[in-house]
Amino acid sequence: MEMKKNYLKKYKILFQNNMKNKIFIFLFTFFVLNSYSQNSGQINGDFSLNLQSYVEDEAINAQAADEVVLNNAFLNLLYSNNNLTIGLRYESYLNALLDYDSEFRGNGIPYRFATYTIDGLEITAGNFYEQFGSGLIFRSYEEKGLGIDNAMDGIRLKYKLGKGINLKSFIGKSRTYFTYAEGIFRGADIELDVNETFNIENQTKYILGGSFISRYEERTNPIFEIPQNVAAYSGRLNILSGGWNYFGEYAYKINDPINSLQESEMNYASGNAFTNSLTYSQRGFGVTAEIHRTDNMLLLSERDRTGKAYIMNYIPTLSKPHAYTLLAIYPCATQAMGELGIQLDVFYKIKKGTLLGGKYGTKLNFNFSRINGLEGGNSMLNDNVDFTPKLFDFSEELYYSDINLEINKKVNKQLSYNAVFANQTYNKDFLEGKTPGEYGTINSTIAVIDLSYKIKKGHTIRFETQALFAKQLESASQEEEGDWLMGLVEYTISPNWFFAFQDMYNYGNENKDKRLHYSNINIGYLKGSTRFEIGYGKKREGIFCVGGVCKLVPSSNGLNLSITSSF
Amino acid sequence: MKRIISLFLSILLFHSCEVIEGPYMSGDVNPIDTSNNYVKKVLIEDYTGHLCSFCPDAARELDVILDVYPNAVGLAIHGVNNFTRPYVVDSVFNSDEKYLYDFRTSWGKDLDDFFEVSANGLPKGTVNRIDYSSNGNHRKDFAQWSSLVADELEKEIKFGINIDITQTPLMLSDQFDIIINSEALSSLNGNYKVIVCIAENNITTWQKDGTIDDPNYKHKHVLRSFLTPTWGDNLAGPEINNGDVFSNAYTCIISDLENDNINYSTTLPLGVGNTGQWNTENLSIIAYIYDISSYEIIQVEEKSFISN
Amino acid sequence: MHKKMKKALIIFFTLFFSINTYGQEKSLPNVEVKTLKGKTFNIKNLDNDGSPMVMSFWATWCKPCKKELNAIAEVYDDWQDETGVKLIAISIDDSRSMSKVAPYVNSSDWDYEIYLDQNSDLKRAMGVSTVPHTFLINGDGKIVWNHKGYIDGDEEKLFEEIQNLVSK
Repeated sequence: MEMKKNYLKKYKILFQNNMKNKIFIFLFTFFVLNSYSQNSGQINGDFSLNLQSYVEDEAINAQAADEVVLNNAFLNLLYSNNNLTIGLRYESYLNALLDYDSEFRGNGIPYRFATYTIDGLEITAGNFYEQFGSGLIFRSYEEKGLGIDNAMDGIRLKYKLGKGINLKSFIGKSRTYFTYAEGIFRGADIELDVNETFNIENQTKYILGGSFISRYEERTNPIFEIPQNVAAYSGRLNILSGGWNYFGEYAYKINDPINSLQESEMNYASGNAFTNSLTYSQRGFGVTAEIHRTDNMLLLSERDRTGKAYIMNYIPTLSKPHAYTLLAIYPCATQAMGELGIQLDVFYKIKKGTLLGGKYGTKLNFNFSRINGLEGGNSMLNDNVDFTPKLFDFSEELYYSDINLEINKKVNKQLSYNAVFANQTYNKDFLEGKTPGEYGTINSTIAVIDLSYKIKKGHTIRFETQALFAKQLESASQEEEGDWLMGLVEYTISPNWFFAFQDMYNYGNENKDKRLHYSNINIGYLKGSTRFEIGYGKKREGIFCVGGVCKLVPSSNGLNLSITSSF
Repeated sequence: MKRIISLFLSILLFHSCEVIEGPYMSGDVNPIDTSNNYVKKVLIEDYTGHLCSFCPDAARELDVILDVYPNAVGLAIHGVNNFTRPYVVDSVFNSDEKYLYDFRTSWGKDLDDFFEVSANGLPKGTVNRIDYSSNGNHRKDFAQWSSLVADELEKEIKFGINIDITQTPLMLSDQFDIIINSEALSSLNGNYKVIVCIAENNITTWQKDGTIDDPNYKHKHVLRSFLTPTWGDNLAGPEINNGDVFSNAYTCIISDLENDNINYSTTLPLGVGNTGQWNTENLSIIAYIYDISSYEIIQVEEKSFISN
Repeated sequence: MHKKMKKALIIFFTLFFSINTYGQEKSLPNVEVKTLKGKTFNIKNLDNDGSPMVMSFWATWCKPCKKELNAIAEVYDDWQDETGVKLIAISIDDSRSMSKVAPYVNSSDWDYEIYLDQNSDLKRAMGVSTVPHTFLINGDGKIVWNHKGYIDGDEEKLFEEIQNLVSK
């Protein structure tokens, strides 16, 4: 009796301490147990563990971590039963890998939710990810590779209003690391499939959409008026006809000054952005042309903060995401504050049986992109300044350009190759926030040849050779990194094993002491839905980007172990 | 169905938005309450570096805050990192003699390492070191400072600090006696430490400011030295009565402190001891008291060495 | 903090092991994706008239994914003739590269059913952490096998699994 009392007391304390998470775990267990007895629900999830040891290496400026070994891990658990889904994610950073923001520290369950669908209405309570349109005014998403997770916490409703009409609405706060940013977001989105709603039988299909976002944040400022509610809205149109597809979206944000006391920091200008893409494709051929422009269109979850953890809208980078290392050494990142970019992609397959096509055909992908600044910078408005840049001006300072051709060919049953030739221009001073003239603009010519040779059933050897030849377009005060070479050998045995060795060599560095090798060896074992990988070697300091967001990865030297698994 | 539509509509109606028309200055600056002898003051520690191109934005913000809130005290802290390293003396590559001055101090390094500020990107600062957490909540962007300062100044005053600086009337003209009297203004229960440090205002030398290298930049409120250890001297606790007065006395010789920093500089990467030429006219003592359980600074006071 | 986490961990691991012992066949989740024609489609309605389906998560920027799907494309006709299998390719390209999905698919002569999972809702619901990730779904819409990653030759193993399923 006494024991039980104590237990209850303890239980009560525990319960009060962590009400939120506790309730969730209990509900979760309840439903799980329930489901086993009725045998109608199911559970799935995934697990990921990434351990890295850090050894000091003065030559490449790699730091040893005080902790010796660092760890990023998470486990997702989802329970679903007919119309109900419950999920949570346990995350552990003890402490976070050096390429993560150090604010990711400790353990917790920062993600838990329940979703229920009834009569066409879907209700979500807890955390959720959401995107309106292409994300110009709002995108809540996770990108583990970049350490981004701005999941919302709140309530979301989705409703099918009628044939072809979808409504979404939510209220919530956005996650930053293990806490939530101050801004309270309210949002609504409507999408209308015109043909479906009005029963139009037509070859041409129209889809219309509109979104609205508002952020509330209380601010007092003794000098300036600060809007407590900041709104943004967007409209979009998608037209599909035969092989054609047009998508356009325009977004607008009202004044959103930071809470500074300095006149020069105050900007009451509104923001805007548009994106347009036109695609045509048919069998063996496809083309995509895109243009986008942003002006003062950074939307943060907390107005006074800096850093990628607070960005709430998503303006994708208008350049090809490259998978080969040397092609991605100088990556482009979107400037939400102001840029104008164009991109063209052509996909073509040379037919089988032709001279160039060979027995299996040859695939070509040509890509061109060019991004420059706005004339005079972004819009600016306060008591002293009133400036709006020209709408189209392609002659302004170049940020990034890339012209490349990728050839993919299977020569015979054993041999296939992939080759890429590219010429990129990268305004390092601007894109990395350096002083003009410090690193200048780098023009690089890159060649990649990737050969795969099948030795026997299940055994394949692959060779990658990459070279980058850099040229400084203006003289720079800092040492130039110069030319690079890279080689990779990979041996794979299907379905379980892979072995890889790679070396990057910065043989063209202006500083002779920095003409270094960055070698890595990796061994992986895959079984069903589990993957183990162990690697050892040096990583170069670099910028790693996905979409419009980048992170700086410090140089490192050490052992890496990763396990991912799904169930 | 109708209900659901009205639900969506009601959510939409919450979405008021405020487009603000100029003029944007509201102009109603609050007057300061000076009825009490002691007033609550707040310390803003601005972590900075002469190679940090966005740092002057934060420094200018700090300037305005000090103007608007006379009870705010500012301190610019240079840790030991890539933003603060000096350039090499080199007649070819650095013919303009840019960035030769060494602002780094051992105390700046201790604080920067402990609060992990520069490692997470500059400019950032702390306001009375509130919200200390290993997750970095204490690191504040400069646009957050003014509202935090306003909040801090609203808090109840727990200690009053009085700084007394006397120049020793001997031939050693740069020796000073400093007495810090701290008076408890209410009964308190906690452990407190006092920190006494020296700052120099208006050091004119190179600073990266946006896209330009400015040779005539005025570095303000630069941390020069600590008279206490980095984490302070014991003040009082745990039981403190209203009206208790605690006295801490220090003696400093400016040239000795200067030499300490010069010696420290030579132990650092790229350091050649170029950190002298202190101007006593621009020096001030900053004394503050913090709660050792939370690191929160509960009172601060500043006084110039040469007070006329 | 620590106590809470310990408890949570214990619950996780018990769940983890109980799931492993159960090994039940899972259904497709109730998640909406888009077709290349802009239509909304609920993935739980996937159907192949009682024949098996292969669901493969990929992206236009993922080399091994494209390798896998191109390798299957060469033998897809034979697979279909023999087993009636249908391949569902789920693109996780976001708005950066989504507009390139249709041109890439068409120019590559893929005859797969393509869906767009723009904000990774389906990817999360199916516990996919990295691409490529391939699921085999039986005629009743249950997931019976899945495989992470792609190594040259893996498609042969996948085909064996499909044949096993059909001959059952």
